[in-house]
Amino acid sequence: MYSRFYLSVLLISSLLFLTYMALVAFNGVMPEWKYYQLEYKDLLIKNAKDDAARKRAEAIPVKLQQIYLSAFNKEDRCTSCHIGIDNPLVANAKLPFKKHSGDYIANHPVDKFGCTVCHEGQGSATNKREAHAKGHTYWDYPTLPLSYIQSSCAKCHDFDMLSKKGGDKVAEGDRLFREKGCQGCHKINKVGGDLGKPLDGVGNQPIAYFSMKHVIGDHTVPTWLKQHFDDPRAIVPTSEMKVKLKGPESDLLTIFALTLRSDELPKAYRYKTYAQPPKQEGETLYKTFCSACHGEGTQSLYDEVLKRTIPAIMNPSFLKIADDKNLETIIKEGRNGTQMTAWKTVASGLSEDDVKSIIGYIASKRPAEAHEPFPIKDLTGDVNHGKELYAAHCAVCHGQDAKGGENLIGINLKNPTVTKMVDPEFLAVTIRDGREGTSMPPFGKEDFALNNQDIVDVVAYIRDSSKGSK
Amino acid sequence: MNDNGQSGLARLTDNLKAIGNTFVGSVFRNGPPTSDKTRAAAIYNNFFMHIQGVKTHINTLRPTYTLGLGLMSFFLFLAVVATGVFLMVYYNPSVENAFKSVKNINFVVFGGKVMRNMHKWAGEGMIIFVLLHMARVFFTGSYKNGREFNWVIGIVLLILVYVLNLTGYLLPWDQLSYWALVIVANIMQSPKELTDSLNITRFFDVGTLSTEFFLAGLVPGKEALNRVYMFHVMVLPMVIYVFIGIHFWRIRKDGGMTKPEVFTAQESDSGYVFPPQKTGGIFPTYKTYGLMELAQGKTPAVDRDVENTVMSWPNLLVAELAVLMFTLAVALVYSYYVDAPLKELANPLIPENPAKAPWYFLGLQELLSYSAFMGGVGLPSLALLGLVLIPYLDRELYNVGIWFTDKQGRNVSLEAFVISVIVIIGMLIFAVKFGWLRNWFPDIPQIIITFVNPGSIWVGFVILWSLHVIKRTGSTRLGAMAMFVMFLVSYVILTYFATELRGPNWEFYWSKDQWPIH
Repeated sequence: MYSRFYLSVLLISSLLFLTYMALVAFNGVMPEWKYYQLEYKDLLIKNAKDDAARKRAEAIPVKLQQIYLSAFNKEDRCTSCHIGIDNPLVANAKLPFKKHSGDYIANHPVDKFGCTVCHEGQGSATNKREAHAKGHTYWDYPTLPLSYIQSSCAKCHDFDMLSKKGGDKVAEGDRLFREKGCQGCHKINKVGGDLGKPLDGVGNQPIAYFSMKHVIGDHTVPTWLKQHFDDPRAIVPTSEMKVKLKGPESDLLTIFALTLRSDELPKAYRYKTYAQPPKQEGETLYKTFCSACHGEGTQSLYDEVLKRTIPAIMNPSFLKIADDKNLETIIKEGRNGTQMTAWKTVASGLSEDDVKSIIGYIASKRPAEAHEPFPIKDLTGDVNHGKELYAAHCAVCHGQDAKGGENLIGINLKNPTVTKMVDPEFLAVTIRDGREGTSMPPFGKEDFALNNQDIVDVVAYIRDSSKGSK
Repeated sequence: MNDNGQSGLARLTDNLKAIGNTFVGSVFRNGPPTSDKTRAAAIYNNFFMHIQGVKTHINTLRPTYTLGLGLMSFFLFLAVVATGVFLMVYYNPSVENAFKSVKNINFVVFGGKVMRNMHKWAGEGMIIFVLLHMARVFFTGSYKNGREFNWVIGIVLLILVYVLNLTGYLLPWDQLSYWALVIVANIMQSPKELTDSLNITRFFDVGTLSTEFFLAGLVPGKEALNRVYMFHVMVLPMVIYVFIGIHFWRIRKDGGMTKPEVFTAQESDSGYVFPPQKTGGIFPTYKTYGLMELAQGKTPAVDRDVENTVMSWPNLLVAELAVLMFTLAVALVYSYYVDAPLKELANPLIPENPAKAPWYFLGLQELLSYSAFMGGVGLPSLALLGLVLIPYLDRELYNVGIWFTDKQGRNVSLEAFVISVIVIIGMLIFAVKFGWLRNWFPDIPQIIITFVNPGSIWVGFVILWSLHVIKRTGSTRLGAMAMFVMFLVSYVILTYFATELRGPNWEFYWSKDQWPIH
């Protein structure tokens, strides 16, 4: 044989090339979805009740199915495998042939809604792995687990309607969101505190925005949210988030968080009654914006996460001396140097009326009798004497620098709200009478026996020392 | 009525009957290649074939001489053109549709995924095979003896292959391509480091000008996609067709491949050569024209043609066809199993970390991390200049057409290989472990780092070492050989280092598992 080297290379390579071309052609002719459709067709033929039904089943063409959603400029090819989506004959068949559960399809025609509008996933894909987009498929919106699917209902429906009809979980999540005080730290639509990140659009943020390092299981946004609600610091070690959730509440909140999307569906799809939202009561507002930190507000507590003592603001003895004006000052200005942020409209988005309702709610717990008046106008404070007294009596709880803080049960005194805005009488009465239900003792009583002059001296020192430090 | 007395109709019928033969005969006017004469005619009468000689030297046909590398590059190019036209049918170069159209090529176009894979891998394969082909040409000394300018054209083709690959990289408009092109835009901005140091950026901002020319802005955007697409499918292909044409034409005019001056055909050569068939043609076997068949050379040539050549048809054509099918088969099998990457839709708000240039530029990106100007412009220009100058600075004609010239050449190459591996790895270890001037003297002027950094020190070392070899051996060929080996080694090691061992923020990591995120 001559030229056997090149001839054998030619022969082997050509065979290899032809084989793989044939494989490519075969995969082109028989894509993954075609097997499903053929199986579906067999199923229908087998289950046909009469000849006419069998004829109809045999006539079903096997072809790529595609729903073009012009409003979204995308196409859903899911029905290439989920072929029996609206066929009542396969109500009890196995996946992917099964008819869609419930009566959703009746109100949400497949032609108009496709699949990914509610279920997410990669609609243009024609194989299961990439369509469901689980694992490393480089698609930001994998199919939503069915336990979270109600979050998609809120794209078009309002929570009122959902709570009554088919959207109980997401409506419950919405209620929890308001009651657990999330907006005390997070802004939504520019309303809320600013300790945490604004939540607008978290529901459809790309996965890259979430650090998946500590997430167990699927690296998807819903898992991140859920595990983050269960234990914030396990997912984000530096988080200061306070959560008190029981049982399925973290799942419900996850569903709600997924509804916070940056996009809005086209108007033809939305089915919301844009009625005036019910005017929120003081109590609801208190829960939404205050309760995350202050809880029920009757006890002052040292908080391990925020590393400071949180004052009891529903405490009768506090309310007795804090008149509405003082409350308004504290709420609107916040407390510099603590996690208490300013709640005036420009900072938090709360309206004047909202603040008034919250004050009204807090003030409703105020005891009828007023505090004993303090003759502060008649006395002049001595800063130096006040400093000595402060070091002797106050520093142990409020800290040498009066800033409160880590492992101290006293609150921060050194902030402009205390030193400038709040009425000095408020401070004087607090020192004299103490604060029931907290660790603040009444310094005017026998044990400490500070007289009025002493108290005025301390007030002078607190206000002055802060002034000096500013 | 004609001479034979046939009727016109009868002649028409005869002509109709013979139309198969006459048509084919009119296309291939020399008839079937059954004799040396018709075999020769098959080559020189054919538009596509006549770029080749009628006869081919046996040395050219030895697989161990050329390794088929140039042909493989060319056949990969053909595969890229064919698959490229296929992809053009479906691809849409707009920010809104580009990503979607690539997804649809993957999902619903018949055979689309494999076609796209093949376009990608054959295109990137060209980089590897053009470089290997260049190494073959270099080590066999084939850039000499009239082929100097063809070597330069080869360098131009190498650059074109790089740029074609680069322009193709942006088109899917996914995260990978977007951020790679952001890095490339930064590389193109790198002359700024020098012009800033010299305080002439105001007058001569060449970095910005070139970036804006290429990307219609300083980062990839909507206009960039159109422009890069235009470069990729029109301008650059037209240019590369012309240069490939010139490259082949000059090979033909230079008398085919280089071959050793003293050549003896061996018994083993019969493994890839058809024996000459002396039937027909101008030298019928029944007559003896012994003298006319005497060949040049030391031994009488029996059963062998003039000057150790054989007919190109079929010897060369079979070899070429074998290489073609081999290349296509390997490219197809690889593309069948390995998918071309396609990440999420490009998002300028989510930077990839680390954002890496396409792999073939990662060596540059590594040098860029020491000094933007040197990595982006200075050193690559120097390297290209060095490559272009090689045939003009080394004009020794000793042992052209022999791998590594001789024993001393092999030793010098091996020595350069070992030394460059040690020095460049040592340099990388040093740079990773101890940092560089900026870490020790934070206030040092940038212009000093521009000229004194691991990259420029390495290139300086390469130049000094080559001069040392020239001085020691008295041969410019050996000096060039040391330099070329060191160039190849540094390209491979730097590319590997930056691809595999650089992680987020361009920090060093042994493996991807140690990356701090995800």
